[in-house]
Amino acid sequence: MSKVETILSQLKDVAANPKKALADYKAETGKGAVGIMPIYAPEELVHATGYLPMGLWGAQGKQISQARTYLPPFACSIMQQIMELQCEGAYDELSAVLFSVPCDTLKCMSQKWKGTSPVIVFTHPQNRGLEAANKFLVTEYELVKKQLEHYLGVTITNADLEKSIAIYNENRAVMREFVEVAAAYPQVIDAVSRHAVFKARQFMLKEKHTELVKELIAEVKAMPVEPWNGKKVIVTGILLEPNELLEIFNEFGLAIVDDDLAQESRQIRVDVLDGEGGPLYRMAKAWQQMYGCSVATDTKKGRGKMLINKVAKTGADAVIIAMMKFCDPEEWDYPIMYREFEEKGIKNLMIEVDQEVTSFEQIKTRLQSFVEMM
Amino acid sequence: MYTMGVDVGSASSKVVILKDGKDIVAAETVQFGTGSTGPQKALEKAYEVSGLTREDMSFVVATGYGRFNFEGADKQVSEISCHAKGVFHLVPTARTIIDIGGQDAKAIRLDSKGGIKQFFMNDKCAAGTGRFLEVMARVLETTLDQMASLDELADEAAPISSTCTVFAESEVISQLSNGVNRNNIIRGVHLSVASRACGLAYRGGLEKDIVMTGGVAQNAGVVRAMESVLKKDVIVAPHPQTTGALGAALFAFEAAQKK
Repeated sequence: MSKVETILSQLKDVAANPKKALADYKAETGKGAVGIMPIYAPEELVHATGYLPMGLWGAQGKQISQARTYLPPFACSIMQQIMELQCEGAYDELSAVLFSVPCDTLKCMSQKWKGTSPVIVFTHPQNRGLEAANKFLVTEYELVKKQLEHYLGVTITNADLEKSIAIYNENRAVMREFVEVAAAYPQVIDAVSRHAVFKARQFMLKEKHTELVKELIAEVKAMPVEPWNGKKVIVTGILLEPNELLEIFNEFGLAIVDDDLAQESRQIRVDVLDGEGGPLYRMAKAWQQMYGCSVATDTKKGRGKMLINKVAKTGADAVIIAMMKFCDPEEWDYPIMYREFEEKGIKNLMIEVDQEVTSFEQIKTRLQSFVEMM
Repeated sequence: MYTMGVDVGSASSKVVILKDGKDIVAAETVQFGTGSTGPQKALEKAYEVSGLTREDMSFVVATGYGRFNFEGADKQVSEISCHAKGVFHLVPTARTIIDIGGQDAKAIRLDSKGGIKQFFMNDKCAAGTGRFLEVMARVLETTLDQMASLDELADEAAPISSTCTVFAESEVISQLSNGVNRNNIIRGVHLSVASRACGLAYRGGLEKDIVMTGGVAQNAGVVRAMESVLKKDVIVAPHPQTTGALGAALFAFEAAQKK
């Protein structure tokens, strides 16, 4: 097995076995984990406690049963899965759960947590142009900090937090470089591998993840760049899972040359910048810098333009919209983006992502037709 | 040179054999789809009608939901591409295709050369498809081929508000028990199917000529409903159920020429 294959296999293992990742972390450090609900959270605060921040992005192919008691069938697919897992006690091992509420479903879900872990709910201000919004978010983060300290029995110092911010900034920068490397080497980093590298960062300490990804990048970049005979696409949406779906991308020669997925590149889009006001204030300011996301209010709706720029930058042949089933914010963005793509003559395709589904024939038909169309 | 297109759908199997990419020597449909004996039976019928065998085929293209499970094809092409190819061959003025099959509905926009500009498919739901009509026909104690003529006898459309097939079935049952005229319910059912399919067509933008294909296009009641929803004329493709197989046979001809 080559070095590249070894690293990818290691990251794929972590991505596929979060339970094991948690058990290993507990055994190694004696500390537990804090769940991070989608979509954005001040993970640096959790990292500074020494607990492992673990992303909670649902599950794939789990049949929804108990969740129906609490959620209507038209609640978004990822929340259905999370509710089902809560009901099953899958998250009870977590020492706490950090819960942001940028959409209606998350807001309602935050009020009916069915697990036993304590839940820390906080709000992102949606009027993001005001200095008052930064101050508000600092207050929210102070509450998050206080509750983390209370539930985990730790103290978070500014020095700890600064160290965590630096670790996260480095990880985000390395992942942005990884995106470019994956685009240049689709023969080496296919759609499944690319996703695994992103997903593993949800279940690992970021410094360890950074180390592995840096090594991966160095190994891949040492290889010759080969021409790609397939098509190049940019994917946008909440997430693009499971591997069976990504394997269809591989089957039809679709290389993912950039993404705007909430689970992937939106997490690494903006850094916490240096400056005045202390770490919490700078973390709050990062939320104002966030752009191109359906749950971060943008009165100018720049997401379509951002994607059009990505197409120009990467030379992508098309944009694929991975629409999370029943996700209102994403559905609202779609007609605007669609019109902009059509005006610019950018080929685009919407596929529906439903985490409960185990059959992908219809998506296969759509993707095959799309490739034939291009 | 003979080429063959096999469209293995969810509810039916279609086979078209072409001579020199022009003349249809067989176009057969069997009302059983993927996973059944339908594809084999459709093949046997096509061979019988044409007097040809597999050895006579220079190239075979499979399409439809079961295209990857059909053994004996040289290539698989998606049904979107095949419908576009088949329809444009039959109706070169086609710019919008609305295809309603057994379990899915599609809207395809074509350019003036027959290339696909955009397409939309329904989500994983039987509402607005042939399956929906089958369920309704059973509840209404009629058959699919009688529905169009019963629709003609209606004086108005009974509203079918539910978009879900299961809920719509309950709605139809309660309307029947309330004494609503059966023909009016049938017209309402047709309108419901048309509204769903038109929703897809609106997404991609409507451009004339609008051509309807798929098994449901054989139901004149649905076609009339489509015209009333779109407020535009709708052309039904000749042999609307076999346009996908025809497109596949045309792709097969192109591939055979390159061999």
